[in-house]
Amino acid sequence: MSNPLLQTHELCKTYRLGRVEVPVLKGCSMHVNSGEFLAVLGSSGSGKSTLLHLMGGLDRPDVGGGEILHDGSSLASRSARQLDRYRARTVGFVFQFYHLLPELSVLENAMLPGLVPGGVGAVEARKRAHELLGRFGLEHRLHHRPRELSGGERQRTAIARALANNPDVLLADEPTGNLDVQTGGEILDLIQEAHQGGLTIVMVTHDQRIADRADRSVQLIDGRLQPS
Amino acid sequence: MIPFLAVFAVALCVALVIVVISVMTGFLDMVRSSGKTLMGDVVVSYPIRGIPDYERLVAAITAKPEAAAATPVVDTWGLLRMPYPAGDAKESEQIQIWGIEPASFAAVTGFADTLKWKAVPEDTAADMRWDLVRQHASELLDGMSESQKVLLLRLTARDELDGATDDVVRRIVAKESPRDLQNRLGLLSFNLADITKVLGPEGIAVLAEAAPRLWNPDIVISDGLTLKRNGRPAMVSGLHVSKANLRTSTGDYAISAGGHWWMPRFQGTLTTLPIDSRGGLLEPESVILPFANEFSSGVYIIDQSRVMVPIETVQRLTHLDASERVDPDDPTRVLSTTPARATMVLVRATDGVDAETLQAAVRAAYEEFEQAADKAGRKVPLLGRDPGLGILTWEQQNASFIGPVEKERELMRTLFSIVYLVCGALIVAIFWAIVYEKTRDIGILRSIGATRIGIVHIFLLYGLFVGTLGALGGIGLGWLVTTNMEAIHESMSDPPLWLGVAFLVAAASMLLWTIWNRQNGKLLPMLLGVLGSLVLAGIGVGELLIRSSGGIVLWDPAVYYFTEIPHTVDWTSAWITAGGAVICSVIAAAIPAARAADIDPVGALRYE
Ligand SMILES: Nc1ncnc2c1ncn2[C@@H]1O[C@H](COP(=O)(O)OP(=O)(O)OP(=O)(O)O)[C@@H](O)[C@H]1O
Ligand SMILES: [Mg+2]
Repeated sequence: MSNPLLQTHELCKTYRLGRVEVPVLKGCSMHVNSGEFLAVLGSSGSGKSTLLHLMGGLDRPDVGGGEILHDGSSLASRSARQLDRYRARTVGFVFQFYHLLPELSVLENAMLPGLVPGGVGAVEARKRAHELLGRFGLEHRLHHRPRELSGGERQRTAIARALANNPDVLLADEPTGNLDVQTGGEILDLIQEAHQGGLTIVMVTHDQRIADRADRSVQLIDGRLQPS
Repeated sequence: MIPFLAVFAVALCVALVIVVISVMTGFLDMVRSSGKTLMGDVVVSYPIRGIPDYERLVAAITAKPEAAAATPVVDTWGLLRMPYPAGDAKESEQIQIWGIEPASFAAVTGFADTLKWKAVPEDTAADMRWDLVRQHASELLDGMSESQKVLLLRLTARDELDGATDDVVRRIVAKESPRDLQNRLGLLSFNLADITKVLGPEGIAVLAEAAPRLWNPDIVISDGLTLKRNGRPAMVSGLHVSKANLRTSTGDYAISAGGHWWMPRFQGTLTTLPIDSRGGLLEPESVILPFANEFSSGVYIIDQSRVMVPIETVQRLTHLDASERVDPDDPTRVLSTTPARATMVLVRATDGVDAETLQAAVRAAYEEFEQAADKAGRKVPLLGRDPGLGILTWEQQNASFIGPVEKERELMRTLFSIVYLVCGALIVAIFWAIVYEKTRDIGILRSIGATRIGIVHIFLLYGLFVGTLGALGGIGLGWLVTTNMEAIHESMSDPPLWLGVAFLVAAASMLLWTIWNRQNGKLLPMLLGVLGSLVLAGIGVGELLIRSSGGIVLWDPAVYYFTEIPHTVDWTSAWITAGGAVICSVIAAAIPAARAADIDPVGALRYE
């Protein structure tokens, strides 16, 4: 465990609203080791999602605003192509609002990441989707549309999708934020199960009780991270 | 739903262009091919005064390998007195008279194929048989056996004799005067079977001798091809010269009065005003000629105003025949002779030789003809010296007509490219809306690793799909409309009643259905239902209005020269149009696709 899997260093992100600059992250430094389950705690609007998007290569930090290292190499030095590949293979996102494609069935949604460039390919993706959805208790829902599912079932589909390409790290953004306590618990069980299988997990939440499930948690306060 | 609208719009645009271009191309093709049908490829013309010794010119031209055949023509204007109506009040028509040598004329032009009548039409034949039987009644009666007379009585008396035995009928026959029996012959229904039974082979032989073409259809064609009837000179008139030929809705022709006014049964009087060598008018000349057949070239103005007559006859009518000037004091002394003249020589090119090459060859032939005449001391019009003399290809002769039509077609093409722009704009708008709607989904795709190029790719493929589907649909629609042009035009010029009624019924039922299904006060289905029924009712009412005002005739043969609307698809243009539509669709789709690629995934994913 020489290099942490993911590491941020003095990360800054500022949004611009017209002429007003809104600094959200003001120098966040943290690391996640391979196989670790890290929770990021923070109140609403503190910048948790922003941090996750940066780590997942969906967004870039401010110019000169720190760096993100994956396996020791900086994301900033990667081309757009390489970042696309990074999103496809290295990270898997799970969102608070599931974000499934409404026109596709559960199975197709779960297969989708296998089909993008760098993905595992259609055959492998189908196999994996069947396996994951089966494991998540969705085998009878394979050909349903997302709108026909309950919130918990949707989130399980989304997790299956996030795992489709066998990523190194799962980035979960309040995966239980939209669910009741019982269903949320089930989802967290799934995530923990994946963690026990060796997956690295970064989960964002504003709920201390949920954060307690993690190996370790950090707190995002006023744009900076501190251990909690 | 929305993408279907795009497919539909593309299909309509493509179909529109295909139909318009096909009709115009067909029209141009008809103009071009009609030239060959009517006049061959190159025409040597010297109007009114004519080219003397034209036989030598024809020989010089046919000696050229580029020329397949050449034929002299004498053309002039005159009056044709038609056989109808009966009596003295017969109509006269202004007519273009073409004196032709039938055999060589048919070799140069498509004359043989344009002959309309391949046999006596059945209605006419019955009418003619009736005439014949009455004319030859006494002769026929003499040849009839008693049993044939009994049959005649039975056939013409109908039910009165139904129960009577042959003996009874035989007694009645004996009592009938020959006059009564002759009248009875005129009462026969003139189908061939009855006549043959009553008259027997001998009787039929009498009729066949009097009117051979009724029993041998080949004569009808050969009469037309040789400009002869019963061995005497005859004429072949254009199908629209006679007002008795009525065009039916199926595009065929019916002859008025149940086939009675079939021109080749009658004769007409041709009258011309010959011009003397100084251009003055001479006494009118006229000649009575039977009609041998009719021709239908498909070119309305020609079919309506031209009559083919043996060349010798027209030369006489125009004083272009060979003549001698004699000493007034000693009529046996010939002072000078003038050879027969022709006002045109039509030339057809050998297969594979184009009109321009042939034109050059004909010019060379004319020069040889000129030199030979010069050596022999004969006078002929001189090439380049005599402005009246022209050697022109058919296209040159009609350049003032073909040119504008070609320009018009190009103009149409250009104007209709605007249709592509409309199509493109529509696709841009529709796809833009789709991209807007799918912003979140695009963000999702990016989050799982889809590249920007990948996103562009999706929308381009989508555009290609819409464009291809639309183009194919457009080709189908265009093909359907173009090939059914005649029927569509027919239904517009004479819209059937049921169509209007059907539309009104459809409108009413749609309205009723809308009212019936007033779904819990939803406004959109109501509005669509009412609008739909209004459109249907509008079409129905419009159709009935058109019907009551006698229909719209869009293709008036008198305006467009041809009796037929072009109805073959110009496939080259069709595929080019379709390809253009596909390319336009893809290009149009590229704009929203680029926007989709530029979507910031974080912004797209942030909110539900
Ligand atoms: N595109 C943007 N432009 C301007 N401000 C933004 C933009 N995106 C986010 N912000 C602001 O940045 C801050 C952090 O947002 P973020 O979504 O990261 O918070 P969060 O911790 O995830 O909150 P929540 O718990 O409600 O999801 C918020 O105040 C938000 O208003
Ligand atoms: Mg958030």
